[in-house]
Amino acid sequence: MKKRALSLMLVMAMTAGMLAGCGTKDAADTKEDAGKEETAKEEVKEDDTDLEAEITWWNYPNFAAVDETAGKYEQGIIEAFNEKYPNIKVNIEMIDFASGPEKVTNAIQGGTVCDVLFDAPGRIIQYGKDGVLADLDDMFTEEFVADVDNEKLINACYVGDNAWMYPISSAPFLMAFNKTQLEEFGLLDMINLEGDRSWTVDQYQALIKALKEKGANGAVMFCVSQGGDQGTRAMLANLSGTPITNDDLTEYTINSDAAVEALQMIVDNVKDGYMLNGSAQDGTASIEEFVSGRSSNAILFSPGVYNNNKAKMEFEPVFLPFPTPEGVDPALEYLIDGFCVFDNGDENKIAASKLLIDFICNDAEWGPKNVVQTGTFPVRQSFGNLYEGDENMTYLASLTKYYSTYYNTIDGFAEMRTYWFPMLQAVLSGEDVKTALDGFVEQANQSIANAQ
Amino acid sequence: MNKQKLYKIRMRETLVSYAFLAPALLFFVIFVVYPMISGVYTSLFNYTIRKFDFIGVDNYIRLVSDPIFKKSLINTLVIVLGSVPIVVLFALFVGLTIYEKHSAIRSFFRCVFYLPVVTGTVAVTVVWKWIYDPINGILNYLLQSAHIINEPIMWLGDKRFAIWAIIIILLTTSVGQPIILYVAALGNIDQSLTEAAEVDGANRWQVFKNIKWPGLMPTTLYIVVITTINSFQCFSLIQLLTSGGPNYSTSTIMYLVYEKAFKLGQFGYANSMGVILAVIIGIISFLQFKFLGNDVEY
Repeated sequence: MKKRALSLMLVMAMTAGMLAGCGTKDAADTKEDAGKEETAKEEVKEDDTDLEAEITWWNYPNFAAVDETAGKYEQGIIEAFNEKYPNIKVNIEMIDFASGPEKVTNAIQGGTVCDVLFDAPGRIIQYGKDGVLADLDDMFTEEFVADVDNEKLINACYVGDNAWMYPISSAPFLMAFNKTQLEEFGLLDMINLEGDRSWTVDQYQALIKALKEKGANGAVMFCVSQGGDQGTRAMLANLSGTPITNDDLTEYTINSDAAVEALQMIVDNVKDGYMLNGSAQDGTASIEEFVSGRSSNAILFSPGVYNNNKAKMEFEPVFLPFPTPEGVDPALEYLIDGFCVFDNGDENKIAASKLLIDFICNDAEWGPKNVVQTGTFPVRQSFGNLYEGDENMTYLASLTKYYSTYYNTIDGFAEMRTYWFPMLQAVLSGEDVKTALDGFVEQANQSIANAQ
Repeated sequence: MNKQKLYKIRMRETLVSYAFLAPALLFFVIFVVYPMISGVYTSLFNYTIRKFDFIGVDNYIRLVSDPIFKKSLINTLVIVLGSVPIVVLFALFVGLTIYEKHSAIRSFFRCVFYLPVVTGTVAVTVVWKWIYDPINGILNYLLQSAHIINEPIMWLGDKRFAIWAIIIILLTTSVGQPIILYVAALGNIDQSLTEAAEVDGANRWQVFKNIKWPGLMPTTLYIVVITTINSFQCFSLIQLLTSGGPNYSTSTIMYLVYEKAFKLGQFGYANSMGVILAVIIGIISFLQFKFLGNDVEY
């Protein structure tokens, strides 16, 4: 039985391998391909409401909980979906970010994986490369691609010619400061609140030193577990003006001289007490330090995180891009929320899963509502500004121009992540920065080869 | 009774015995024997979600040159060597001490030491995380208040302390059962022997050495073997507290198996680590039985 399952997976992987190319999908090509399929799709849709199926949807807590009850909001979506598609039974199961990825991996191996998963490209693309997903090519219609109008975002959903993830929303990761505290200390003028709020490394250094002199705790340079590691990478990339990878996603580049210098600066900041050593703290703990007011700033903050913590914050935060060297634009990492469909060998279930995804992302009422519930921004431009009057969100929505190359889809991404925090822990405990960074890049590049 | 009839009776008894054994045997085969064989078999493959290619002993060759595996192996041995002797000696000391006390006091201490065993690992780690917290933790607060340290220590984030911090937690969760076992074993030692020795003028050390210790040997052997195996398999504390950090200074083989299999999907490579771990545990258990088992009298 197991052999058969393995053989099936192998065949699927080979098939996916044959279909998949090495390049990225051009948005214009997608438009053309999708346009040809548009008519056929509309014909199929006529009969969709009669489709009978039972599907399982695994969901990370991407939607803010209603009444502090996990899964309650999702249940509301399903009820609304069932009004339109009464013959599709959807079983929702909430999974958490800590153990969820392992659960999915186990379930794939055991043949018990869900039909629909709401996650992000980092993992979804890997599932696609592993050949266990049903492609979502037909969902990337000409209209959808034109509405998204963002090639980087569309590319993040593709491997070769196949789309494995259907995006609903995105949001940049930034850093944040306690604005109320800055006002109290008379330091508010040390940050740029105009335009895109970009600022330089020197201005950042001056501010964290001033905060230390006022007795405030710095940000936690966390490096435990793996959650939120993108924030620490983004910080280094911006401080040094060096991208993490090259644009082709074939090589890691974050060991330039500038990156070594920037990482040394971070280490010195920790030594001098301008930042806190987070060798024993994870991203969640660092955010907790900030939202509780114990830390004056956080190196990883996002609209979604703010949305989930707003109620317990007794101060006003201010979002800022990471500081960069003079004359260099910020290069922001960003989250993309989206769905994938596992190929469990039942075409009916795949069709039903796509209908559910389409409803969640594109329904006139529930699409925008669902985006707001994630506290992020719609990938569809036609949804407009969902946060009218919210100064922070309006500012954050304007930052898409600073989105950097989305490298989470690089081969071996998961393995690379296992080397990043140990490297940071090593330098924070005194190891030579250049040696550590070179070692990381060597391991990370090897992870690309391992995943081929 | 003729031979044929005797044979039939013996055969029936044998069949009945196997029938009684069958349910347990079935579970043993499905959940222990099959996974073991499967683990050894798949360790010879490049086994990921995508691939299942036979590569012979390549996974084992890769292990030899993997610095993270070597580091994890050393950490695992440090945990075993650091925890097993302390667990045995401490449990023996507590067992001997509380055995002579009033039953209420004995029960109280048994309860105190057994509490961490029955408390969920997650709850235990949450409490210890608070204790070890470098910024708000009570341990740093107490040590700073007592002027023992000037600066807060990153108990779980400093490679000099992290593994010892883990061992201390492991000790608290490991001593409960041995204490219960030692107290029970002491109750099985014939009181008349100790009384006769005392009448003959033997001191407490002589009574312990010549009467109690030999009587406790089967229990000691069991405790040593079980504690060794549990220490080798230390995983949840690492996963929940340090994720193997800082810089792999608390990574154990079990944690690495988890990381390779369930985070990276490298099942074949993870299984080869599991096989090596099983072989090491097997050899050490054999040696323990060989050297400690000689003195065991049942």
